[in-house]
Amino acid sequence: MPDSRKGGEIRQVSRGVTTPDVDTAMPDPEIQQRQKAMELSAIGKRQPRLDGPEKVSGRSLFTDDVQLPGMLYGKILRSRHAHAKILKIDASKALALPGVKAFITGDDSEKVFANQYEPAISKGVTHYIGEEIAAIAAIDEVTAEQAIELIDVEYEPLPAVTDLRKALRPSAPRINPYHDGNVASHNIDNYGDPDQAFEEADLIFEDKLATHPTHNLYSEFHVVLVDWSFPDKLTMYTPTQSGYLFQKKLSEAFGLTDSQIRIVHLNTGGAFTGRGLLRPHHYIAALLSRKTRRPVKIFSAGDEEFLTCRAGGDNDYVVRTAITNDGVIKGFEIEGIMDCGAHAAGLSYLSAMAGNYQARLFKIKGLRFNRKCVITNQRPNFFHHGGMMTGLNAAIMQQLNRAAQQIGQDPIDMFLANAAEQGFTDIVGGTFASCGLKECLEKVRDRSGWKNKYGKLPPYHGIGVAIGSMASGVKGAFKHDTSAAMVKVAEDGIVTLYTGIPDMGQGTHTTMAIITAEVLGCDAEDIRLVAGDTETTPLDVGAFTQRGTFTTGNAVRIAATDARDQIAKVAAERLGVTPDQLVFRDRKIMVNSDRNRNMGFGEAAYACLHSREGRFVMGNGFYNSPLKYGTLAWSFGAQVAEVTVDPETGEVQLTRITVAHDLGRAINPLAVEGQIDGQIFSGMSQTLYEECETDNGQFLNPSRLEYKMPRTYEMPQVEYIIVESVDPYGPFGAKEVGEGPIVVTVGAIAAAVSNAVGAFMPEIPMSPWRVLRVIHQNGDGSGSD
Amino acid sequence: MLLPQHNYLQPASLNECLMALQDAGEFGQIVAGGTDVIFNMRLKLFRPKTVVSIRRLTELMQVEELPDGSLRIGAACRLTDLAENPIINDRFPAFSESIRSVASTHIRNMATLGGNICLQTRCWFTNNSQQWRQGKESCFKTDGDICHVIKSSEKKCHAINNSDTPVALIALNAELTIQKSGAKRVLPIADFFNDDGIEFMKLCPDELVTHVTIPPCNDRLIFSKYAARKGIDFSIGSIAARCNGEGEQTDKVSLILGSLSTAPIKLTKAAEIIQTKGLTDGAIEQAADTVRGDLGEVTNLYSRAVYKKQIARVLVKRTLTHLKNM
Ligand SMILES: Cc1cc2nc3c(=O)[nH]c(=O)nc-3n(C[C@H](O)[C@H](O)[C@H](O)COP(=O)(O)OP(=O)(O)OC[C@H]3O[C@@H](n4cnc5c(N)ncnc54)[C@H](O)[C@@H]3O)c2cc1C
Repeated sequence: MPDSRKGGEIRQVSRGVTTPDVDTAMPDPEIQQRQKAMELSAIGKRQPRLDGPEKVSGRSLFTDDVQLPGMLYGKILRSRHAHAKILKIDASKALALPGVKAFITGDDSEKVFANQYEPAISKGVTHYIGEEIAAIAAIDEVTAEQAIELIDVEYEPLPAVTDLRKALRPSAPRINPYHDGNVASHNIDNYGDPDQAFEEADLIFEDKLATHPTHNLYSEFHVVLVDWSFPDKLTMYTPTQSGYLFQKKLSEAFGLTDSQIRIVHLNTGGAFTGRGLLRPHHYIAALLSRKTRRPVKIFSAGDEEFLTCRAGGDNDYVVRTAITNDGVIKGFEIEGIMDCGAHAAGLSYLSAMAGNYQARLFKIKGLRFNRKCVITNQRPNFFHHGGMMTGLNAAIMQQLNRAAQQIGQDPIDMFLANAAEQGFTDIVGGTFASCGLKECLEKVRDRSGWKNKYGKLPPYHGIGVAIGSMASGVKGAFKHDTSAAMVKVAEDGIVTLYTGIPDMGQGTHTTMAIITAEVLGCDAEDIRLVAGDTETTPLDVGAFTQRGTFTTGNAVRIAATDARDQIAKVAAERLGVTPDQLVFRDRKIMVNSDRNRNMGFGEAAYACLHSREGRFVMGNGFYNSPLKYGTLAWSFGAQVAEVTVDPETGEVQLTRITVAHDLGRAINPLAVEGQIDGQIFSGMSQTLYEECETDNGQFLNPSRLEYKMPRTYEMPQVEYIIVESVDPYGPFGAKEVGEGPIVVTVGAIAAAVSNAVGAFMPEIPMSPWRVLRVIHQNGDGSGSD
Repeated sequence: MLLPQHNYLQPASLNECLMALQDAGEFGQIVAGGTDVIFNMRLKLFRPKTVVSIRRLTELMQVEELPDGSLRIGAACRLTDLAENPIINDRFPAFSESIRSVASTHIRNMATLGGNICLQTRCWFTNNSQQWRQGKESCFKTDGDICHVIKSSEKKCHAINNSDTPVALIALNAELTIQKSGAKRVLPIADFFNDDGIEFMKLCPDELVTHVTIPPCNDRLIFSKYAARKGIDFSIGSIAARCNGEGEQTDKVSLILGSLSTAPIKLTKAAEIIQTKGLTDGAIEQAADTVRGDLGEVTNLYSRAVYKKQIARVLVKRTLTHLKNM
């Protein structure tokens, strides 16, 4: 049972200065120099995805492709009331239907919670439209669908509140037993000295920005297949960002050990922060499978997908920037009211991260984030790609571009004068061992032709600049943040990498193959991968907080190095040198000083096994950040967006975007560009298009046709600039490019639109009708107000 | 979301098809490309007993030039084929534009002209799944007693006629050939639509639209559509504008707006202004200003009403300006 926590009390914390176990001050510059000068062969090549041919030819397996003998189909009965008592659920007609095998309600799942406060199946009361109130399993989909239609539910409607501001009123109905006043959490984070920062400012800018509900819109809808036919083994097939986390949660919920749970995630069709947590349907499939002793599959069809997703919600921000007359940015103050929906899960943590984010871009004195998470009768919310950082960055970057204009400075000059740099310790306590932020700013300025455009554009044309930074992994979810890997070298020299990191489209499996290939002197195409199954791969915390390349990449590097060392020992003996004199390159093992003295890589692996020792080469490795919690490496980026606005229709066209991203080292430049493309796409989509329109808690556009996400036709011209600062902690110097760019994209587009219409854009998405409203209210298109 | 149970017939000739429709009566449903009707069945908006496919009726898949210069198009022609048809592209480029603006390439590969003309009206309430609809009371179209879009005493369904080609076809004075077993009638497409989201067309359950005939046209004609995204979306507003003459001079104007109401709208005031004053910039502005009034009640369906009115104005202004320069 979740503990009932009192709402209403404000937790005021002075944050900052993490307590690292290691000294994160600047590492030895010589080490960094050596990293930079490294001779690389596999890394840096434009490597097409290794699973590309399999994916485009439709041969990759996804969860819905899996059919197990005796499999049943589960279907969930969802509440159609935003708030109501459930008086009676009568399934007699459904159960009389031939082929119906099981029926469950909240009575069958009392102790099973999908999240701290969210029951897997709600009992007695329903808190939002779409909430799970019963489920059935039947022999086929048609029967399951028919059976659901035959269940009679008697509701007694309760007053509902779907607007986060109204939910805070004293007269508002109480939505769940855990949160007084419908406040899930209220924190005030102080970083540095915000009061002093505002004291020292000459100018204070204040603006309001609201964001609206979204969907993560991954291409693979939510689906789960559970086989719990035997009581001591639960196998779950489902797309996820983390098999490990799912194992943990399920073992906790059902009293099994971790090893009794197997998560098979095969390929994951996109995530965009939407697949980190278990959802009710995962638990429901397990409950149905336990009850029927048969495998049960549940697929979210149509609008159901919009109810099971946990994406962005309604958030209202007030942002204040403190700045001096000569453009020194002193600090920020943010107030945020954020809609958790009906059940709080993780939003408070996400908002803390967003505050953190804004604290490390500039050399500011202080930042305060007053953040309140509110319970409403809406779908529970988590976040879309870019987290809560996108909305905040949209507000702050607009504000800073406008502030620069007002004090008569070029925004890029102002950013350069205030930007964080290598060796800088921010007010949160992170020290940047590598930081190419200024280089990014200079490069986007030059490549975009900023100097010829800024302030010189015709009416309704806009240009804007934004910057950002992203943690490459954040330790904190568990005591450890471990990724482990194994590298097997067969006697024919074929290398197999075992990794638990899910590839959900970001291409991480190819990245891991490249790292393995680099260490062993092979080609990425030579590496085979075993992945996507907790039973056959070593532990990996998963693919979130941009820890893949950094953390799993380090583990893979260590595992491959272990394998390399084993081979090197034998090869060195054969070649009559010491192992440290060897180079692994072009599938050969060569004496560095005389590369003609060499042996084949396969030959060496064969020699290992067929030696006296009989060694079969298996390299092991794991990586866990030496910090107690927090982050060792951050990416940095700057972008310039150019837009045109149609003053009669309000339509915004993103014409060009120039992206510079400091990702430490580009393991695979092709994948880096792919990541940048994807994030520009999604950043543009979130800023200009995506919105779940709601009417008293009901989504009005729960389909891919009416939930407007742009298509490739809307993609702008993209200029890519890769900045390699070579981080001392990253594998071969690499950091992240998984979420860093999108936050900057949103900020840059927002700033450009605001520049085009000459006003602060107070809402996201900037749908044409909203743009038109702003134009009619205050803009004149001259680029200034 | 699976299809409700039904019988599926695939008649091999027009006669056989008309008989099947007669037999099925009001429990029958014609399916052509299926890009709309199949989806509506999945939403359980319709539960027809008999689904009659016209995909084998090759006699409805021809494009012919008639002796009087008219073009006769079979209702079962695929939109992709029509979009690529050189005669249509050459003689009726605006119609061609309206075809290309429907949905996406994949959908046009399935969709037919007849299906586009007879497209069910759309509304966010009815075009959602049955489970979803249970969140609200049933509406007129779903056998209930209210309209969720406009709540008034008037018992009218306000679903929108969202199809693109009829807008161009009305401006072209096209005629529909409608057949049922043993009978045939011809109706100007301008008279085919009703101002009602449920009984939105003058077609009985046993009738089939077999052909569309377009008379020759030497006037200037433009079709234009405004949608949220390029190449997939239904229109927020669409327009067909036609006039004779050259440059600013004209004395015959017709303006048809689509997707803004339960039926395409003929803008008479705006047309009159241009007819009397010509295509001058002043007259165009003046004509555009009358649009709001001529629109009548605009719903919030799929876009805000105020915004849609603004789009209608912009469409009129831009197409008239374009006509002038044609
Ligand atoms: C994603 C998406 C986007 C779309 N975008 C657009 C758009 O931009 N513009 C647009 O106009 N449409 C759009 N559509 C709707 C639809 O695809 C098209 O209107 C298409 O032309 C319908 O033709 P069809 O042959 O598939 O019709 P069907 O689905 O087969 O039939 C549609 C209706 O017409 C009736 N019907 C079909 N043929 C005849 C006939 N010969 N006589 C009498 N009744 C008949 C059917 O009974 C049914 O009620 C879109 C659909 C989707 C799924």
